Amino acid sequence: MKKVSSAEVMGKNRKALILAAVMLVLAIVLLSLPAYEFSATLFTKRSGNTFVGDERYVKAMSEVEAAADEYRQQGFDVTISEQVTERVNSKGETTSMVAFTVSSTNSFSAWRFLGAGLPSSRVLMAILVCIAGSAVLALLGARGTMDVQHYSLTGKAKNLRCAACWLAFIALMLVPVFVMVNTYSFSRQVTLFASGMAAEGADELMGRIGAFLYGDAVSGDLGELLSSVAYNTTWSLWALMPVLFVMLCSLIVLLKGELYAVLSRGAMYLFIIAMSILILYPFYVMFITGFRSNTETTDMYFLHMLPTQWIWSNMKDIVGRGVLRYLMNSIILSVGATTIAMICGIPAAYAMARMKFKGKNVFLGFVIMSQMFSPVVLLVGISQLMNTLKLNDSIIGLMLINAAFNQAFAIWLLRGTFLSISSEMEQAACIDGCNTVEALIRILLPMAAPGIVTTLIFVFINAWNEYTISTVLISTPINKPITVGITQFSSFNMIEWQYLFASALLATIPVVILFMCIEKHLAAGLTSGGVKG
Amino acid sequence: MDSILVRHKWEPYVWLLPSIVLMTTFVIFPIMIVFKLAFSEISKAGIVGGFVGLQNFIDAVKAPAFGPVMINTFIWVVSVVGLSTLIGFIMAMVLNQDFRGRKIARSIVVFPWATSLVIQASIWNYIIKFEYGNLNNVLLNLGIIKEAINWRATYQIEFMWECGVGIFVTIPFVTFCVLSGLQSIDAAYYEAATVDGANFWQKLRNVTIPLVMPSLTVSTVLNIIYVFNSFPIIYTITKGAPANKTDTLITYLYMLAFYDQKKGPATALSVIGFTILCIVSGIYMMMTMKKEDA
Repeated sequence: MKKVSSAEVMGKNRKALILAAVMLVLAIVLLSLPAYEFSATLFTKRSGNTFVGDERYVKAMSEVEAAADEYRQQGFDVTISEQVTERVNSKGETTSMVAFTVSSTNSFSAWRFLGAGLPSSRVLMAILVCIAGSAVLALLGARGTMDVQHYSLTGKAKNLRCAACWLAFIALMLVPVFVMVNTYSFSRQVTLFASGMAAEGADELMGRIGAFLYGDAVSGDLGELLSSVAYNTTWSLWALMPVLFVMLCSLIVLLKGELYAVLSRGAMYLFIIAMSILILYPFYVMFITGFRSNTETTDMYFLHMLPTQWIWSNMKDIVGRGVLRYLMNSIILSVGATTIAMICGIPAAYAMARMKFKGKNVFLGFVIMSQMFSPVVLLVGISQLMNTLKLNDSIIGLMLINAAFNQAFAIWLLRGTFLSISSEMEQAACIDGCNTVEALIRILLPMAAPGIVTTLIFVFINAWNEYTISTVLISTPINKPITVGITQFSSFNMIEWQYLFASALLATIPVVILFMCIEKHLAAGLTSGGVKG
Repeated sequence: MDSILVRHKWEPYVWLLPSIVLMTTFVIFPIMIVFKLAFSEISKAGIVGGFVGLQNFIDAVKAPAFGPVMINTFIWVVSVVGLSTLIGFIMAMVLNQDFRGRKIARSIVVFPWATSLVIQASIWNYIIKFEYGNLNNVLLNLGIIKEAINWRATYQIEFMWECGVGIFVTIPFVTFCVLSGLQSIDAAYYEAATVDGANFWQKLRNVTIPLVMPSLTVSTVLNIIYVFNSFPIIYTITKGAPANKTDTLITYLYMLAFYDQKKGPATALSVIGFTILCIVSGIYMMMTMKKEDA
């Protein structure tokens, strides 16, 4: 590592600390600038068929002035605006329409939120505490150790600097939370309150919002007034984010000595978290919807992220609608298909891996080609064939088809596994008088167990999740596997989402668990078979 | 590869026999039936008549829905395979890093792969409902939007959502194929590249991509086949409505065969789809084999 003089280190650290301090001051300045602008329409008056300055106009104007005065006396800060629209009436005369608006515009800095008792006040408090704490900790962490290179810091200074970084990071993350919480109270809660659908405790919140916006001025219908309030987040609040980010960066430099590596690692974590949330989102939806009541699933104004009541009886209801039977069918189908696929696949893979014979490559090509023939393209052919074999509408027919179309994968995966195991043991056994069948069963199969289990589960899952062939072939309800069975809950005119997802949940959980077990082995198997083949 | 003592010349064929019987009955026969039907006259009641030459193909191609359906199929395959390969590749690169919680992240990525397509499609169908869908609910609750958005205003947008769901469920497969390729790369290559002063992009272009190419090829070819043949997503979300405007070849074929009872044109479409798949996969295989030889 390059030797750095303590003066250089001192200079670098000092620069970082000064930058952080500047950003801290900037953040405080930004917090003092207006963060939100609220404008409420208090009174509107339209006057038609008039010109600016004529009799009607003056009359309307005086009416508006009177209204405005009344609001002024109540303590509102009002402005009057007028909008003139010209138009030609049926007689061909040009007249104009004047619309007067009495409105009140307030803009508040973030400090104002602190004492307002709104939900966002706590968030703002947390932001301030984090920023202040971060600054204090950074100073404490830098005291007396300014000339020490970051990798030779003592435990205490390092911990303090590290904590400063985390606090700055949390403050940064809380800024959008602050905005979201505000939007939630000012827009969603107010709308619900005005339309009479608010949850408990909304009265209190509305009172606080009213007091926050207009002091004690408000009387009359609070919901109506608040629902006319338009609000705007100003740039200063958004500017807080880059400022805090720069502060975080300078603190990171103080802690780690370099920025790029830490930031790229942070970006990676953010990517992973975002990806995980996106992937888990449908499962969250399935889970919560499966336990909601029918009215809640189709309620436009349902506003909770979780069911208000967990309806466990959904599970009982779907059992009454035959879901257990479908699950049973799926189990029979998947177990049967897997068994057939393995009984046919293991010998074939064994021969492919251990024996020399003419036409081996032809067979391998055939196996690879059969991947291309998805059952869906062949639907018509398959249904004709099953009719002739009298296997349509039976689970046995489905088993055979699933087994056949999974042969290619099974042989690929198994052959790859067998090839990765040395054949010496089997050869020794054969010299001792074992025949090939015994060599396979006694020696190779136990050694290849992980690969076999992977293949087994993979075929099982494919058969379990298969949908298209089953819809075409199975018409009797009691023979349907679960994937087809759940579609009975969605007809053209009504979809019973809660039952659909409750049964989907039952169909998914076991498979996801199985899949997680083989995840490690699967990827390697999938490609190795293809690459080597 | 050492051969075990095989006593008779016919023995290997006995080992292969069950597999061959199974696949011939349930893969080869349907293919033959489809090809036979495609060139035969079929009545509405499903009675197979004599040889009619290319009449079924002409009927299938002349149908007004055929052109849009082929275009949709093309968009569907290219966008789903292309984007899922790109995103899957990036995710595999990330998951190949060493970080805390890596095992959990890998298990989570498997989730969409393990669910049945019809279930996954039903969930998304619910999520993007305008009136009570969960996406609007969540966004409203988080305060990101102020009023409900109609996420499926036109059929083009609905088709885009279908492509999106297709990408969503395809990513895990690509990720795991590429991941296995990445894990087999010897770390020495990267060390050598670092010594030579290569930056991230140079390493990516000259070390990573050439070495994961075989895995990427396999996953892309298999993906083209799967995505081309994918049925439940479109069937669940739009059923091809309105008027076949969101159909791909497979869903169109299904509707023709089992709703409209036009088995003749449907089998002709099967043969067409089949041929396209063979050609595309063949070209891709040949191209990559050439590259590997060179």
